Amino acid sequence: MATFANIQLSDVERVVNDFIAAVRAPNYFASTRRGELTELRADLNSDERARRKETVKRVIAQMTIGKDVSSLFPDVLKNMQTDDLELKKLVYLYLMNYAKTQPELVILAVNTFVKDTSDRNPLIRALAIRTMGCIRVDKMLDFISEPLMKCLRDDNPYVRKTAAINVAKLYDLSPELAMDNGFIDVLKELVADSNPMVVANAVTALLDINESSTEGNVFTVDPVVLGKLLVAMNECTEWGQVAILTALADYTPSDEQDAVTVCERVLPRVQHANASVVLAAIKVLLVYSRYINNEEFTSQMLKKMTPPLVTLLSSAPEIQYVALRNINIILQKIPTLLGNEMRVFFCRYNDPPYVKLEKLEILVKLCNAQNIDNLLVELKEYANEVDVDFARRAVRVIGRCAVKIEEAAERCVNVLIELIRTRVNHVVQEAIIVIKDIFRKYPHQYEGVIPILSEHLDVLDEPEAKAALIWIMGEYADRIDNVASLLAQFLDSFKGEETQVQLQIVTAIVKLFLRRPSDGQDIVIRALEVATKETDSPDIRDRAYIYWRLLSSNPDAAKAVVLADRPPISTETGAVTTGLLDLFIRNLSTLASVYHKPPETFIGTGRIGADASTAQAISIPSTAEEVVAAAAAQVQKSAVEDLLDLDFGGESSPPPSAAAPASSHQSIMDLFDAPAPSALAPMGTTAAALSPASMAPPTSHGSTASGGGAMNDLLDVFGGSPAIGSSSTGSLQPTPSKPAKSDPFADLLG
Amino acid sequence: MLNRLWGEKEVRILILGLDGAGKTTILYRMQLGEVISTIPTIGFNMETVTYKNIKFQVWDLGGQTSIRPYWRCYYANTDAVIYVVDSCDRDRMSTSKEELMGMLEEEELRDSVLLVFANKQDMPGAMSEVEVTEALGLSALRNRTWTIYKTSAVKGQGLTEGLDWLVDIISQNKA
Repeated sequence: MATFANIQLSDVERVVNDFIAAVRAPNYFASTRRGELTELRADLNSDERARRKETVKRVIAQMTIGKDVSSLFPDVLKNMQTDDLELKKLVYLYLMNYAKTQPELVILAVNTFVKDTSDRNPLIRALAIRTMGCIRVDKMLDFISEPLMKCLRDDNPYVRKTAAINVAKLYDLSPELAMDNGFIDVLKELVADSNPMVVANAVTALLDINESSTEGNVFTVDPVVLGKLLVAMNECTEWGQVAILTALADYTPSDEQDAVTVCERVLPRVQHANASVVLAAIKVLLVYSRYINNEEFTSQMLKKMTPPLVTLLSSAPEIQYVALRNINIILQKIPTLLGNEMRVFFCRYNDPPYVKLEKLEILVKLCNAQNIDNLLVELKEYANEVDVDFARRAVRVIGRCAVKIEEAAERCVNVLIELIRTRVNHVVQEAIIVIKDIFRKYPHQYEGVIPILSEHLDVLDEPEAKAALIWIMGEYADRIDNVASLLAQFLDSFKGEETQVQLQIVTAIVKLFLRRPSDGQDIVIRALEVATKETDSPDIRDRAYIYWRLLSSNPDAAKAVVLADRPPISTETGAVTTGLLDLFIRNLSTLASVYHKPPETFIGTGRIGADASTAQAISIPSTAEEVVAAAAAQVQKSAVEDLLDLDFGGESSPPPSAAAPASSHQSIMDLFDAPAPSALAPMGTTAAALSPASMAPPTSHGSTASGGGAMNDLLDVFGGSPAIGSSSTGSLQPTPSKPAKSDPFADLLG
Repeated sequence: MLNRLWGEKEVRILILGLDGAGKTTILYRMQLGEVISTIPTIGFNMETVTYKNIKFQVWDLGGQTSIRPYWRCYYANTDAVIYVVDSCDRDRMSTSKEELMGMLEEEELRDSVLLVFANKQDMPGAMSEVEVTEALGLSALRNRTWTIYKTSAVKGQGLTEGLDWLVDIISQNKA
C-alpha cells in the first residue's frame, strides 16, 4: 500500500508543480471579494479564450488556499476540451479535487476523458487515464473499462505504465469489475512487457491488489515470472526496483540452486544509493538465506550486506532512524552480522535524540566480551551528557551489558561506581536502579558495592531508585550492619512515599526479619501495622496481610516464599518471538519493521484492522466481568452479613454462599495452609463477592476479573516464587479492611 | 467588417436533442466535413468551427436521459440552439417536444435563436419538415426567431443551408 500511495502522490505532485510553474507569474491568490464566485463563473463562460484560462488559474488558486470552489464544477468542466495542454492539466487537477463533491456531474467529463485516451499525444492519453482513475466516484466505473483496456494495450510504454497502476485503483473501488473484465490478466501479461518501467508498475499494482484481495492469491511469482522480474529489475527506476524486490521476497524458491541464483542477482542491489532499495534487497537475501545450506555462500552474502547497512548511517537522521529500527530486527535474526562495526553506532554529539536512543539499543545487541571495553568508555561519556534522558539511558545500557556478558560484569560495575561517585543526581539514581538488576543476575558477587550505595541514600528522591535501593537492602540484610536502622528511617517516612517504595519497604523489612529475626522483630510488627492500618492502597494492605499470615502461620513457609530464588533476568528487552521476527524480516523497510508491530495491527485493510483487533482484545475481559458480576449478585446478600461478622472477629458463620466463592476460598486456604478455615472462609467469600463491585480499586492488580491474573500478581508479591495453589480463580484482591487480626498478631508476638 | 465588429469573440452554439438524433455526427460533419463513427456522448463535445469567417464555438451535449438535466449548465451566453430531431423516431417525437419546450422556457436562452434540424432524411419513412414542425409545435412559438431544415448528416445535406441562415441572423442581431 505504501508504494501505491507514493505513486499517487508523485502524480499529484507533478500536477501541482506544473500548476505552480503556471501560476507563478501574476498573483492569482489576491482578493476574496464578495460575489467572487459569480464573477468567476461569468469569466469561466467568457467568450474569450485567454480570459477563460486565466480564470481557471484563479479558481485553482482559490482551491489550493482551501476555499470551496466546488460550485463552479460544471463551468470549469466546460474548459476541459481544449488543445491547450496547460489548461487541460489545470482542469484535470480541479476535477480530481472536486469529483467527490459533485458525483452526478462527473459523467459530463466522461466523453472528454474517452476522447483524450485516444489522443495522438501519449502524454495526454496517460494524463487522461490517470485522472480518470483518480476520480474515485462509482459513476466513473461504468465508463472506465474501455479506455483503460485501450491504454493497457497502448503502443507507448508511458501510457501502459500509467494504466497499470490504474488497475490497482480500479480494483480498490470494485474488485469484481477488475476481475470480470480481465484486467488482472492483462496486468499479468504486462509483467512480461518489454519495457522495465511497465513491468515495475504492473508488479506494484499486482502486489497492491494481492494485498487487498481477500484470498491473497491474485499474484504469485512463478519461475517464469521470476525470470522476467530479474531481467527488469536491473533496468528500471529505483522505486520499480523496490516493487520488484518486494515481489521477489514473496517467492518460494524451488530448490537451493534457485535461491542461490536469485541471491546472486539481487546481491548487487545492496549497493544502490537509495536506502529503500538497499533494505528491500537485504530483505530478499535474508528471506532466501533460509533455503541455502551453503555456509560459504551465506557468509559471503552476509559480508556483502554489512557495508551498505553501515552506509545507511551516514544518511539523513530520519533515514538513519528507519535504518536503525530495521537493523535492530536484522540483528535479532543474525546477531553476528555487524560484530566488527560497533564504532559506527557510537552516538555523535549532533545526532537527534531519537537516533541516539536507537543506537544505544543496537550497541547493547552488538556488545561482546571483546569490544565491551571500548563500549564502556563510550557509554561513560554518554552518561556525562547534559541530555538527562540520554544519560540515563546510557547508564541503563551499562547495566544491560553487565547482565548480558558475565565476564564484563565486574568492569561494568566499576564504571557504575565511578559514575555514582560523580554524584550527579540523575546518574546516581539510574545507576542504583541498574545495579539492582546486576544483583539479581549475579547474586552475592558484588556486595562490596553496597556501602558505596548507602552513602548516597540522601540524594535518592525518585521512587524507582529508592525502591531499588530498598530492595537491595532487604536482599542483603544480613550483610549490612545498620540495615535495621536504615529501614526504620524509611519506615518513619512511610506515608509520604510512592506505592512502589512502600511495597519495597514492607518486603525488605520482612526479609530482614526472616534473615535476622532478632534485629527485625520490632520493626516488622511496626511495618505491618503501618502497612495494614495507615495506607489507602489495597496493594500494600494485601501484601502486608499476606506476609502477616505467612509469618504467623508458618515462618518456614514464609522463608520459602519470600526468600525464594528468583528466575534469572535477561537483557533482551524488545526481543520478539521467532514467528514474529520472520514476519518482520518479510516486512523489512516497511512501517511494520519501524514500529516493530505486525502490519495488520495498524493498517485497516478491512480484514484485521486495528479497530477489529482492539475490539477482540476488549471483548474477552468484558464477558468475564459479566460472569463475575452475575456471581456477585447471587452472593451479595450473604456477603453483607459476612462483612459484619468480620468486623467482630470473624470467628463465626460459615459461608452460606454458592459455588463461586467456595472454590476461591479453597485456594486461599491452600495458599496459606491456614489452620482455621472458619476464620478465613468469610474473607474469601467477601472478596469474591465484592471484587467487581464498587470496592474494586482502580490501582489494584490490573486484571480485575480475568481468572488467574490476580493469582499471578500474588506470586509477584512473593518475588516470583514457584506456583502455589495454581487453581485460584483470582478472588483475593480487595480484602475488607479489617479481617481477623487478633490471631496472627498473637502468634507473631508469641 | 465582421471581424472588426466582433473581434476574437466566438459565436456560441449548442447542439441539443434526444440521444441518437445525430448531434455528434452533425458536429464533426460541420467541423471536419466527413462522417466519423461515434459512440454515445457521455458528457459533451466542444469544437470550434469556422464558417464564413465567423468562429463558432459549437457544443454538442449528450442526449441520454441521465445527461439532459445538465444541459442547463451550458445555457449561459448561448447565441443559438441547434435542435436535432431524428425524423424517423415517431415514437419519441413527443418526448423531444417536451424537452424542447422546457428548454425554451429557460431565462438564459431567451435571446437565443432556434435552428431545428429534421435529421436522418436519408432514411426511409422520415417525417417531412412540415410534419416535424407540427409534432414539435413550433408554430406556436412566440418571441423566438426560428427555422427548420431537412438534413442528413451522413449525406451532408441541409447543414450548409442551416449554417447560412444562422450567419445571416446572427450578423443582423450583432450589427
